[in-house]
Amino acid sequence: MFTKILVANRGEIAVRIMRTAREMNIASVAVYSEADRTSQHVLTADEAVFLGGSDPAESYLNLDKIISAAKETGAEAIHPGYGFLAENPAFAQRVSDEGLVFVGPPAESMRLLGNKTTARRLMSEGNVPVIPGMTAAESDIRLLQAAADEIGYPVLVKAAAGGGGKGMRIVRTAGELADAAALATSEALSAFGDGSIYLEKYLDRPRHVEFQVLADMHGNVVHLFERECSIQRRHQKIIEETPSPALSPELRERMGAAAVSAARAGGYVNAGTVEFLLDRSGAFYFLEVNTRLQVEHPITEMTTGLDLVRRQMEIAAGLPLPFTQQDVHRRGHAIECRIYAEDPEADFMPSPGKIIYARSPEGPGVRYDHAVYSGWDVPVNYDPILGKLVVWAEDRTSACARMTRALKECVILGVKTPIEFLLDVLLSPEFQAGDTHTHFIEEHFASWRPSAADDDLTALGFALNEMLGPRIADRGDQAGPAQPVSPWHRLGAWDLIR
Amino acid sequence: MNFRLKVGSELHSLEVSPLDESRRATVTCGDITRTIAVEAVDSNHLNVRVDGQSRNLFVAAAPGGTWVWAEGRARFVEDADKVERRKSSGPLDQPVAVTPPTPATVMRVMVEVCQVVEKGQPCVVVSAMKMEITLAAPYAGTIIAVNTEAGAKVMPGEILVDIEPLAEAIADE
Repeated sequence: MFTKILVANRGEIAVRIMRTAREMNIASVAVYSEADRTSQHVLTADEAVFLGGSDPAESYLNLDKIISAAKETGAEAIHPGYGFLAENPAFAQRVSDEGLVFVGPPAESMRLLGNKTTARRLMSEGNVPVIPGMTAAESDIRLLQAAADEIGYPVLVKAAAGGGGKGMRIVRTAGELADAAALATSEALSAFGDGSIYLEKYLDRPRHVEFQVLADMHGNVVHLFERECSIQRRHQKIIEETPSPALSPELRERMGAAAVSAARAGGYVNAGTVEFLLDRSGAFYFLEVNTRLQVEHPITEMTTGLDLVRRQMEIAAGLPLPFTQQDVHRRGHAIECRIYAEDPEADFMPSPGKIIYARSPEGPGVRYDHAVYSGWDVPVNYDPILGKLVVWAEDRTSACARMTRALKECVILGVKTPIEFLLDVLLSPEFQAGDTHTHFIEEHFASWRPSAADDDLTALGFALNEMLGPRIADRGDQAGPAQPVSPWHRLGAWDLIR
Repeated sequence: MNFRLKVGSELHSLEVSPLDESRRATVTCGDITRTIAVEAVDSNHLNVRVDGQSRNLFVAAAPGGTWVWAEGRARFVEDADKVERRKSSGPLDQPVAVTPPTPATVMRVMVEVCQVVEKGQPCVVVSAMKMEITLAAPYAGTIIAVNTEAGAKVMPGEILVDIEPLAEAIADE
């Protein structure tokens, strides 16, 4: 096993990876940009290397700087997290060319599966059902028009290189295609460094159901069941759960088998996710393979009891999977809510700024993977994810109740967050009935406004806070440490350590 | 003490009696009077009992007001009198202009000086947190100045493109 890894990422996912590394007795190296000097991942790592400016191109997307940081610190492996360079085959190749281990799939497999059009072709050949659409990326608008006419409107414009909804546009009429294609190309270019796009048929109100797979270097491939990620805004998941309320044991088995064949078809190694759309009739279509650790991986960990980052490291180190498909069991129900710095009242527009006060939810069955603390500035330069609140309970009803309780304990003040919106979704009869699909938010929550029910109480909170005045000093004797800590005491301790 | 507070766009008036030794008070809001008790747990945490029901509130002072959190719902609460003073001395509350909603980087400028634009015509595309946002002309008019360029870092309130409204556009408003 490795003795030191570099985590080429930031925020909650970098912190999450470092935690498992520490449990495995592997030292972790953080990398950071100007904007992240005091970010949580830098504080969590054993060592941290400054990369450069806040622009991702000068730091988290800079291959040369990341490779030299790994060499400089003696890290043997690089974990890319999600986003940034995680699905960049050139990076995976470069890491292994430099004699380091990439904690993820081989570059070739990533190239095959990460490119959605190639992946679609592979799946069609392997009898995995695919959505009608183009099998190659295209930039010529006349050819795109012709393809759209053949598929039939509405069509979806998608980035060939990426995920996370970036570069994705729905086009309902021929007249909208040219503008949507230009915007999608430019978004894909800035997010993934590759502006290729393609078109596919747009399905009405499908569910998004994905399967987690694990594959080792010795030809063993297993799936760890599904995650349903239908609750999305702007094509980006915000609530995920497992099991999916829509899957019968028989359908689950067929989809799981399709996911395993998909991984085999692409020569996949390490942790990956095979995404499907499930339509109202129970037919499922291959969507794409995410060749990385997913944002929503914790719900699989909660229900299977497996640590996916640990599995990733073991697989990357060449170890065989210590279990077979028959050994994989799961229990109970898990839900994840993504907490972004964004304003649910203003079309989920990013809301960067200072987090003045933050307090974490706790208690039975609650896991909060985050990278925020009171006083931290949320940088404008990166994806606005602050954290993921995950709960586990015996069944779906108890998991919903537990998530509601935990969201009410998750305090973030200073930037806008969707916590209140998430609460209202969780409490809605449609969500509670499990009647979820990818247009759920547009259909039920398009005109959502915050409830004014507790506004009298918040007004009272303001008034009492003013009346009580500044109060940190007068409670120092009761609340804080009994005695002020003298720097001399600290120095004494440091002397002992030296 | 009397408070006139703005929670979102709504005005809340309340009268709170001085806190007694056990931090109890009566609160009058409209024609309803309640007995409350409060404990300051720390500088951000208040435990309030309203008619015996315990509620935990979290507060954080920010420029211009205070964030207050109750049961998962965060509100920015402002002193209504201060808000009115700011408004009367400051510029228009809602500038109708081509300005980003959040700190952002300019991706493309799609108009030039002297160009006539329709209401809703895209003028500038900015990118914030990896998302592209198109800023459109808030009214029809003629571009009289382009104050930015691709790659520039811009802030809310910064007018990226000056538009002189057409005579009809003014008449419409």
